[in-house]
Amino acid sequence: MMRPSSQVVLAAVVFIAAMLAPPLPLAIADAPAASPASTPARIHAQDLPYYEACAREGLNESECAGRLIWFKATAGNERFHTYVFQQRVGVLIDWFRVLRSDERGDRFRAWGIINDPACCVPGSPDCPAKSLDETYGLDWCPGDEELLPHVGRSGYRDPACDFRDAALKPGDVHGPADQRHDACDLRFGTSTGALGIRKFPNPRFDRAAWLKLNGSPGTWEGYNRPIAAAGGRGEAARSHLQDGAIEPPFLIGTSCGSCHIAFDPLNPPADPARPAWENIKGLIGNQYTRVSEIMVSGMASNTLEWQMFAHARPGTSDTSAIPTDQVNNPGTINALINLGKRPTFANESVIKWRKTASCAKGDDETRCWCEPGRNGKCWEKSLHKEAVHHILKGGEDSIGALEAIQRVYFNIGSCSEQCWVNHLADLRQLDPQQRGFGQTPFDIGQCRRDCPNFRAVEDRLGNILDFFMSAEGHATDLREARENTLRVANPGARYTDQDLIADLERTFGAGAVARGREVFANGCARCHSSQPAAATGQLAGLDFHKLDLKTGLREDWLGNDGPTAVSEVGTFRCRALHSNHMAGHVWQEYGSETLRAQPPDPNVKEPGDGGRGHYRNISLLNLWAHAPFLHNNALGPELCGKPHNAANDFYAQRPRYVDASNVKLLPAERQPACFEYDPSVEGRFKLYTLSMQALLNPAQRIPKVTLLNEDVTLRLGPRLWDGTDKERLLGFELTIPSEIDGRGVTASTLGNFQHKAFIVDLVRAKTAPDELERSLAKRLGKESARKVLADLQAVAREVTGKPNGLVEALRARPYLIKQVYSSCTAEVENAGHRFGEDLSEADKNALIAFLATL
Amino acid sequence: MTRISHWPFGALAVCMLAAMAVTGCGLFDDDGERAPEIAFAPHAEGYAGKPDFAWLEHRHPLSTADLYKITPQNIAQLDQEQVDQIYARLSAGPIPDGAFDGDLFFPRGGSGKLRLSEIAGGGLKGLLVNVAGGKLDLVGEMLWKGKVFYRDERLLRNRIEDLTTLRKLGLVEESADTPLQKLNVGGKDQWLLFPAKLYCGQSLLDGRRESIIIDYAFTDELPGYRRMPDLLAGRNGFAIRDEIRMVYPGFYLGRAYMDRAFVVNFVLHNAQMIAASREAFLKTGQVDQDCWSGTQQRLIAAAAGGG
Repeated sequence: MMRPSSQVVLAAVVFIAAMLAPPLPLAIADAPAASPASTPARIHAQDLPYYEACAREGLNESECAGRLIWFKATAGNERFHTYVFQQRVGVLIDWFRVLRSDERGDRFRAWGIINDPACCVPGSPDCPAKSLDETYGLDWCPGDEELLPHVGRSGYRDPACDFRDAALKPGDVHGPADQRHDACDLRFGTSTGALGIRKFPNPRFDRAAWLKLNGSPGTWEGYNRPIAAAGGRGEAARSHLQDGAIEPPFLIGTSCGSCHIAFDPLNPPADPARPAWENIKGLIGNQYTRVSEIMVSGMASNTLEWQMFAHARPGTSDTSAIPTDQVNNPGTINALINLGKRPTFANESVIKWRKTASCAKGDDETRCWCEPGRNGKCWEKSLHKEAVHHILKGGEDSIGALEAIQRVYFNIGSCSEQCWVNHLADLRQLDPQQRGFGQTPFDIGQCRRDCPNFRAVEDRLGNILDFFMSAEGHATDLREARENTLRVANPGARYTDQDLIADLERTFGAGAVARGREVFANGCARCHSSQPAAATGQLAGLDFHKLDLKTGLREDWLGNDGPTAVSEVGTFRCRALHSNHMAGHVWQEYGSETLRAQPPDPNVKEPGDGGRGHYRNISLLNLWAHAPFLHNNALGPELCGKPHNAANDFYAQRPRYVDASNVKLLPAERQPACFEYDPSVEGRFKLYTLSMQALLNPAQRIPKVTLLNEDVTLRLGPRLWDGTDKERLLGFELTIPSEIDGRGVTASTLGNFQHKAFIVDLVRAKTAPDELERSLAKRLGKESARKVLADLQAVAREVTGKPNGLVEALRARPYLIKQVYSSCTAEVENAGHRFGEDLSEADKNALIAFLATL
Repeated sequence: MTRISHWPFGALAVCMLAAMAVTGCGLFDDDGERAPEIAFAPHAEGYAGKPDFAWLEHRHPLSTADLYKITPQNIAQLDQEQVDQIYARLSAGPIPDGAFDGDLFFPRGGSGKLRLSEIAGGGLKGLLVNVAGGKLDLVGEMLWKGKVFYRDERLLRNRIEDLTTLRKLGLVEESADTPLQKLNVGGKDQWLLFPAKLYCGQSLLDGRRESIIIDYAFTDELPGYRRMPDLLAGRNGFAIRDEIRMVYPGFYLGRAYMDRAFVVNFVLHNAQMIAASREAFLKTGQVDQDCWSGTQQRLIAAAAGGG
């Protein structure tokens, strides 16, 4: 375990003392007897490094409280990651494969996971656990001395129950009494050894059954061992991970930090597998995480689920894969830096719940609701004009920063059972009249009422937002990073702005930085600056480095966050067609009316209504530390971890570079080498430089397409195995070949295939052909409509009474899957954003040099 | 009334559903019972017009008196949305123990016809159905009588009354050394087949609280498993997974899934248990809960004077 410096310890002690100081007398006087703030707080050993970090980063009480929640709170999602995802959604996570302690040293390379510095491998020197059997195969982490004895028993007191709340803010509508929900429902548990992934003792664990299945408590290898399917024919292997009767020793949950905790670009670890707390920040966003592969780590690779999830690049995730919109669209984890200067958009029409002290008697509780047992803790739903951020890639999550933070908790599985799995589309439900055929909107009011974890988080969102705005979210400039590097050897070393410029100009040419500023101002700042003058073309004299001396923040967000039509920027458009925030869809309540009224991009051929079809312009702040580029991390070298365990080498299993003429993978010898994970300062800078060169030289980019790496069979409906030969009695079987007519098939073909619309139209082709033709004509034009109808009728004839005939029927008409019934037909993932390709080589170098200073 | 009594084991009956959709044969009897008079939330035809279960339960909680209006017979008078609205307002209750009689009833649409025959004017059925005659006979003659729960072992077996066809097709492995397990009910032998695991788990309809799951996926690991015919229900067969919730003690409402697709409703009931617990449950509405019962406050009003 790493030891902090003595100064930091001293600061932490002072900080903790401050945290433990009695709250203001007013708060005490007005607090209800059971108020968590009035309960004497116990400082858990596992919290000490967090308080030390708060002291190191200079965070105040509220910011520190928010940080602790961000890093640790699962808000109850351990049930999601242990039961709901597996049983309701049907996707298996192999937590042992991901977290096994004997592969702690390989975890970052395999999964992009950041090891918790406070945890240790059982049996290693100074580790309190002496064998893997004591920890059920996982790391030992602080707090496990209390947690482990509760495996298989009830009565565990969650450390969150001792969470020390920051004082309630003056003027809180629900104050002055502290009426915040019990902090126990934040649910911290203890670390699994992977930052952001938390564990809880499973009271249902049956040790005898576990030993029978696995042989010893320290391994899960009977639980996750593949069991071959009896029927053959490409059927995926199963395992006991799908056996709901088996209760594992732990329920595993995730905090927001599981994706957002990252290595500090200013102070990276010498060994990424052995970071110290000083190397870790909570807001940068993990640029290496393979969270998508983690989520399907228990699935065979020839399953629909594997192919739908495990295609995201390191540092990206498809947050609409679980609440699926059937638009395959992984995106980067947003870097939450310099948020105090992030642009907002005034006068947006926002319907949302707002705090109020009372509701009128007889108010409809869907419009105004007071929490029972509280004094004037009420919420009212109303339409108002507000200035709001456009948070997500397409500007979604646009009803307020607090609400956007709360929605992160749903992304990670919190309140899934109470609030949102009932609103998801079930891919197997083909009857438009039945629940689950399509999404229905998540209801914030209902969730607040029914999910205690929602309330526990909601009552502390202000703390999390304060953390976002804290010094930990300040810019991480290359100059400072290089200075820190020099100081490792020489604590008194300095590295000035002039030193940085001199070094950059040695690489990119004399005067490059100054010239690059001109190129940027004239060619890029229209979108990539938040200064009002940039939008009006008044570019002379703009200072892109200017500091707000009051806050220490950079004045310029270096992006205007405004929407750009996806056809204008030309990048991979599937994310812009994300549909979960549309009216009637699951996250409807998190999109502003203004956003939804945005007209579609007329140049996009797929459905793009409901405010879709745009990307917000991103910030270029600290671009040097955030390559590769674009919303999907596709521009620049491909990242790879090269883990020692080849089974976890996901890059090797799915190379991306293709021959553009036939969308087929280039042979291995022509695949450019991947860029091995390197979070060091110079590693980041090298990756930045290579990515910038790819950005500014689009003609030289080798196209990247994520292809199916094997045939995948979709089975919709039951089957009969009679012991000798498998026969399908009912339902569809649809094999998606990895290649059609010599052309590779993209992995997103599956995720984007609108199979329900296809099946409904197949029926209509038989029962209501005229009506179908009219509706197809509106979407595709008359001529195409006639052809599609004729083909649908032919398919219907060919498969009637012969469901297995669908494979051949569609193989003969692949355009139905790949085009007509696809939510997104884009293929090349690193296309677009060709701005700057006409610059001279000198100007391209100048731009690369200048942007490195931002 | 569209109901089936003495029908094939669990979800295997979907094959018969398909057959009926094709042939229109009159296999459903009408016993003249009326649907239970309890409150339902209004709903429209399409999926988007169905009420959210959390609001349904909040606004239309079922009292114990309401629950006792529901019988194993009259529930089949309801359309599928109404059945779903009942199921969502139930809790799992205790994991049952002992023998329960069983009946199936198929999803029906608002028109009162089988739902499959309603979908897109029945156009879907021709595309979905491909039933080989021999296999249809096979499942059609496996008479399902109910289930036997072994609560302490977290194990369940199905009661099958007639194995003639299975035997004819050689799909029953038995010998003098490995005789089939039998149960005598009302003086009649029933075969105990298709073992399944019992546990608390996720409902595939309503996530707000757990259901009792009857899972055949790993049937081959259970005591008494015989490859034929038990594998028909397992992960290499129909991949059947049932879930049940308690209406009142001794009476459970279930949903059967094949490979995660819903196919049929069923009821399980034990007349002695129903009679023995009725008075107490009417008064208190309280019963042991073995499974996670969620965090939404469940309002169940006990009947003041019985039901």
